[in-house]
Amino acid sequence: MRISLFQIPSRFVSIFLLGVTFCANLSAQQNGNTYTKRVLETAEVDMLFSYYGQDGNNAAVTGGEGTEELTDATSTLVVRMPLNENDVLTVDVGLSAYTSASSSNVSPLDSSNDNLSPFDASSGESRKDVLTYINPSYQHSSADRNTIWSVNAYFSNEYDYTSVGFGGSYSRSFNENNTELTVSSQIFLDQWRIINPIELRPGFFDDRVEGPGTYNPNFEALDKENRNSYALSLNFSQILGKRWQGAVFADAVVQQGLLSTPFQRVYFGDVGDFFIDDFQLADDVERLPDSRFKLPLGGRLNYFANDFLVLRGYYRFYWDDWGISSHTASLESAVKISDRFTLYPNYRYYTQTAADYFYEKEAALSSFDFYTSDFDLSQYDAHQYGLGIRYKDIFTNATILKFGLKTIELRASKYDRSDGLDAFIVTLGTTFVAIQ
Amino acid sequence: MTKYLLPLVLMLFFSSCVVVKEYDKVYLNDDEMLLSAKGMERFETNFQIYREAAAGANGGKTGGGCGCN
Repeated sequence: MRISLFQIPSRFVSIFLLGVTFCANLSAQQNGNTYTKRVLETAEVDMLFSYYGQDGNNAAVTGGEGTEELTDATSTLVVRMPLNENDVLTVDVGLSAYTSASSSNVSPLDSSNDNLSPFDASSGESRKDVLTYINPSYQHSSADRNTIWSVNAYFSNEYDYTSVGFGGSYSRSFNENNTELTVSSQIFLDQWRIINPIELRPGFFDDRVEGPGTYNPNFEALDKENRNSYALSLNFSQILGKRWQGAVFADAVVQQGLLSTPFQRVYFGDVGDFFIDDFQLADDVERLPDSRFKLPLGGRLNYFANDFLVLRGYYRFYWDDWGISSHTASLESAVKISDRFTLYPNYRYYTQTAADYFYEKEAALSSFDFYTSDFDLSQYDAHQYGLGIRYKDIFTNATILKFGLKTIELRASKYDRSDGLDAFIVTLGTTFVAIQ
Repeated sequence: MTKYLLPLVLMLFFSSCVVVKEYDKVYLNDDEMLLSAKGMERFETNFQIYREAAAGANGGKTGGGCGCN
């Protein structure tokens, strides 16, 4: 059964928030004899919404040529509950509802159009889906606040993909809290439910097929359905002065299993072309190695210029053993225009080289072992421009139920890629705190 | 460029000989000085993970999910 984004019962949300308030008050009463400053003073609730849209003409589902039009609406609720002076439980739940023109062309025969084309969306069920997820985590801080450890779990599900993850982290502060080192690890055990393009499924027949002879692709079904990811992360942060601080991040990620997407078509240059109207039938699906090693290294540098301006810089170098390397750089400034309002102009630049296995439409040969026409793995540059505005009320004068509004923030960004993909995203976020 | 930039950043970190006392951290404790990615950036990071080959090294999620749309 598919769930619409707007069908979450408001009664369920109200009961959930009242439960959070009860837990927060209970834990406060249990520790009434002595006072220790809590890691988190009171329960907090973040409500986040985003709307994303993109368009382009290099859809991977149709072998690198076709509409990439997609919209996604995501709604997320994050609840942080202090269990006692030292422990915090966080529950992050959400759902993401999307419609995708390219996904609809997994089965273009559902189209009501008179002329089938990779540049038109189909009306079949594969045009939309809902991803739901939950990510609980538990954090413990030592009494001297110099050590923090945490554990977390993750579960998400959509029509053809399920992800299960768990992980943990350990942080240690030293040098009078001027230095912090964090080691963390995360494991995801994901499962595909393989869906192939309709023309590659057993028993396919359509009397409209045109081409040189009989359409009979040499297609072998993918033999793996799992995708496992193992990540080890090291974060090192350092205060550099009264106005400067920075951090260095290093991850090592290993992925194994089915790393290609089973419904992304590939068209070979040495195989005859078959069509239904203007829609070219697949020669194969993309095939990629069953392992990948990723090594991203990043750094962040923040500068408190004055009471009105804070600068946040970020840089990342990325390398993987599929032949991709990339650079990412971003700069965001926080401009405090009053006690309550802050503006966030920001810019991000991204560039990457192509994967060894990327070929444009008809450029791969059927004798190759690995091939994809997914332009997300091609060479390109991208520019992202954004602006945000935040209202902050430390007195939480506006209240809903037993929660006061602490912040409300709106962000909008435009993303332009050199291969023609354009995207935009709008995000609205609010933070409420429990009133005791 | 990377082979020069990374040692420079590391040198900057490890050469920090100033220990800032707690009572001098008023600017550093400003909520805009957060060193990890902000919660409001999570959706932007999410679509970047879907649309770009690179991911990670930002204090956030480093794997999982198909990213196939």
